[in-house]
Amino acid sequence: MRLKKCTAALLALGMALSLAACGAQPAESAPAAAPAATEAPATPETTETEKAAEPAEEAGEGAVVLDPDGQFYAEVPAAAETVYPVTLTDQAGREVTLEAEPQTLVSGYYISTSLLVALGQQDKLVGIEAKADTRPIYARSAPELLELPSVGTAKEFDLEGCAALDPDLVVLPLKLESAVEPLEALGIDVLLVDPEDQERLNAAAALLGTATNAQDRANELLAFTEMQQGRLTGLLAGAERPTVYLAGNSDFLSTAGGGMYQSGMIELAGGENVAADITEDYWATVSYEQILAWDPEYIVLASDAGYTVGDVLADPNLAGCTAVENGHVLQIPGDAEAWDSPVPGGILGSVWLSGALHPELAIDGENMEIINDFYETFYGFTYQEF
Amino acid sequence: MTSMRRFMASPTRNSKALCLAGTALLAALAFFSLFCGKYPLTLSGLLGGDAMQWRVFWTLRFSRTAVGVIGGFALGVAGFVYQTVFRNPLASPDVIGVSSGASAGAAAGILFLSGAAAVTAAAFAGALAAVCLALALSSLDRSGRRSTIVLAGIAVHSLAQTALMALKLTADPERELASIEYWIMGSLNGISGYAVGGNLALCAVCAAALFALHRQILLLSAEEGEAKLLGVSVGRLRLAVLGAATLAVACVVSLSGLISFIGLLAPHGARLLTRRNGPGTMLLGGLLGGALLVGADILARTAAATELPVSIFTSLLGAPFLIYLIARGRRDV
Amino acid sequence: MSFFSVQGLCAGYAGRRVLQDVSFTLEPGCLTGVLGANGSGKTTLLKAVGGILPHAGRCTLQGAALEGLSPRRLAAVCGYIPQRSGIGIDISALDVVLMGFNPALGLLERPSAAMRARAAAALAEVGLGGREQENYLHLSEGQKQLCILARTLAAPRRLLLLDEPESALDFHHRYRMLALLRGWVRGGERAALAALHDPALALNGCDRLLVLADGGVRAVLDPARNALPVLQAQLAALYGRISLHRLRGADGREQLVMLKEEDPA
Repeated sequence: MRLKKCTAALLALGMALSLAACGAQPAESAPAAAPAATEAPATPETTETEKAAEPAEEAGEGAVVLDPDGQFYAEVPAAAETVYPVTLTDQAGREVTLEAEPQTLVSGYYISTSLLVALGQQDKLVGIEAKADTRPIYARSAPELLELPSVGTAKEFDLEGCAALDPDLVVLPLKLESAVEPLEALGIDVLLVDPEDQERLNAAAALLGTATNAQDRANELLAFTEMQQGRLTGLLAGAERPTVYLAGNSDFLSTAGGGMYQSGMIELAGGENVAADITEDYWATVSYEQILAWDPEYIVLASDAGYTVGDVLADPNLAGCTAVENGHVLQIPGDAEAWDSPVPGGILGSVWLSGALHPELAIDGENMEIINDFYETFYGFTYQEF
Repeated sequence: MTSMRRFMASPTRNSKALCLAGTALLAALAFFSLFCGKYPLTLSGLLGGDAMQWRVFWTLRFSRTAVGVIGGFALGVAGFVYQTVFRNPLASPDVIGVSSGASAGAAAGILFLSGAAAVTAAAFAGALAAVCLALALSSLDRSGRRSTIVLAGIAVHSLAQTALMALKLTADPERELASIEYWIMGSLNGISGYAVGGNLALCAVCAAALFALHRQILLLSAEEGEAKLLGVSVGRLRLAVLGAATLAVACVVSLSGLISFIGLLAPHGARLLTRRNGPGTMLLGGLLGGALLVGADILARTAAATELPVSIFTSLLGAPFLIYLIARGRRDV
Repeated sequence: MSFFSVQGLCAGYAGRRVLQDVSFTLEPGCLTGVLGANGSGKTTLLKAVGGILPHAGRCTLQGAALEGLSPRRLAAVCGYIPQRSGIGIDISALDVVLMGFNPALGLLERPSAAMRARAAAALAEVGLGGREQENYLHLSEGQKQLCILARTLAAPRRLLLLDEPESALDFHHRYRMLALLRGWVRGGERAALAALHDPALALNGCDRLLVLADGGVRAVLDPARNALPVLQAQLAALYGRISLHRLRGADGREQLVMLKEEDPA
């Protein structure tokens, strides 16, 4: 147990280091701000000052509540205020200097929008991506977002509409890289994020935390994920790993290969992705025959699947499949957000699935508390009340 | 060379022998198709009465093969009919908008309905609606010109494409858009014995009707006035023949999604081999179409760990075959 | 009552009237040539009579109107040879000839053995014997015309409409074809109306000549009986200055020869 504790602490340390490396890069900030900038570098592993300990304690308390044994925890590194002007390197490798703390924000991607909400920046948002009404998490945590003007989708970005909002900072997904130049020509700062897996999501959280002067919240978020990863790894270390077929959003016959985020989610939840050998990094199409040959013990439907558990149970082509015979067909809940995507709360997918795959551990109740705690802490609503 | 030339120009061009060869090829591919796939079927398991193996064999393997055989056959025959009736070697079911209609229908089904059967039904309805619209538009012009139907088809095709674009625009990229794109590339994946019966039966009826009407189809290849004074009710017959051919295509396409090239290539292959347009050529066109689709599907399901779109392979197999036939034809004439 | 009559026929294309109030009659056993300058309406006349072009007026064959007949019933009495057949697919010469039997066959019926034999005989008659299985598309233009002629002659008809059926034929085959047509019309209650390309052929092969000009029938000539000056005057209206001569061939048969004289400058 002590070993685990140490591992967790080490992980936290490493994460904090990487945070300092990829998120804030104050050393490169404008020379004019030199005296302030030297103060700014986040060196959390050393500066456990009284001031920074407060948020850490808060998260630590959460951890204790969630984990009565006190086996698993993650440290929240001490965070510093961002000192402007600050020069950041975004996830496209661009260097962007923010002269002052941005007061108005536009986010063109649902993951960055969710991140900004988790970082407590919802009041600064003046425009977000289209189809906000399909994201229940907005309605539950920041309903005012639904009233904001839309700047379009990742396919069709509304450049003029975005410029008309005159934001201090625009956060766009890497896919919209082409919009950067025209926006910069208008004097609008742009940060590109690419949160396509946990690691890059963490980096995006750190980046946005520094950019919006919300490093403490970003650190809390990262620590939460960190802690749950450690907890699950520890809990499931010796458990049997049932085989899982993950059915994708578009079609029951599309699944996540070993390279995908969703595959990692299954592994962390103590399952074995039957399609792990498929190396494609996008949804792969398989046949009924293939699924029957794999004969998974569990079939898990993606949050936004266009079909239901009932459809799958009633599908005559799956008769004889172990998961169907045993009624082990479940759908990842999407009451708040799709946990099978790299959203800030994506770790909850593994948390929830671990309970479903391992009834022998009886951790459903504990998991529910963790889920509630996450949404209360970062989004200000109680998940179960939905 | 002269003996070769005589062979090429010889009357029946051994169309019987060619049809036999085509049947043998199709049968061999179909047999192979029954025994290749991701689920490990064993002869001993099947003979031993393993229920699971039998279920996989009948509902998945056999029905997939049947759709390959009958679907490819129908596409080949329909292609023959289109090319003959329109006197255009590039004519295909797309000329009167059936494929785009089916695509728009399928997209609507993916967006607004649930379940594979519903998507099939929607694609079929879309194909049928496009064809009816094209034929109805063309019947507004009473001069009976062949070009009218093509123009009407182009209009319907554009209309269906517009509808498809609008549907794609509203589609969720993660979920529905992926399905629509995959559907448009065509695949026999997901076909099961529970849903194909009606389509295949209708398809077979249409193909049989086209064979029965073969003599009339050739008459339609004459100039309009000429055909009329050969006793052909040109407008009505053309509607019936195109209707049957299109219905057959709609049956296949609504099950499989768009399958490129077979309707164009199979009848050309048959014609290049037989140098005729007799019933034997039509049959050979169907056999080649079936062989092409079954062959492409075998590759689509075995070439990779995942299921690949079948259209990639129909083109990949078909294009070299056509080029070979063209090159051979040039040498002989 | 005449065998075939056309009364008050008006026809044209998209608002441009080509034929205005055309009336004439054909007698049984009579091969009638249609002569006219380019654009005088020869093809229009044949298409209108055959019901391919919408028209006003009445065409009556043995007392029955052709208008309003179903394509099948019309084709059973009336055959048509277009200037160029539209057949553009690989098909055997025999199959082309067998198309002519379509009006006698049910929708799904196939040609009988007797029909095949008749078709083969018709091909032999036009000089394509033994080439039944050849690809129609590989025949020369002239052979194609002969093949289409065989198609028209093989099946029973009472009225033939021919649009320059000899345009692609060589000298020898032109006369052979006209002889075939004459033989056909003499073989029963039949008549043929043929727009001809070659006036010399028309003068010596046809029983009557219909001269079309200015959207109507300018004259009906009987080349065997009309006086030379009459014929010459009518033909000069079409072809400019010409001279006609009756010459006797080596077989003693008298034939008409038309020479082109120099037009006044």
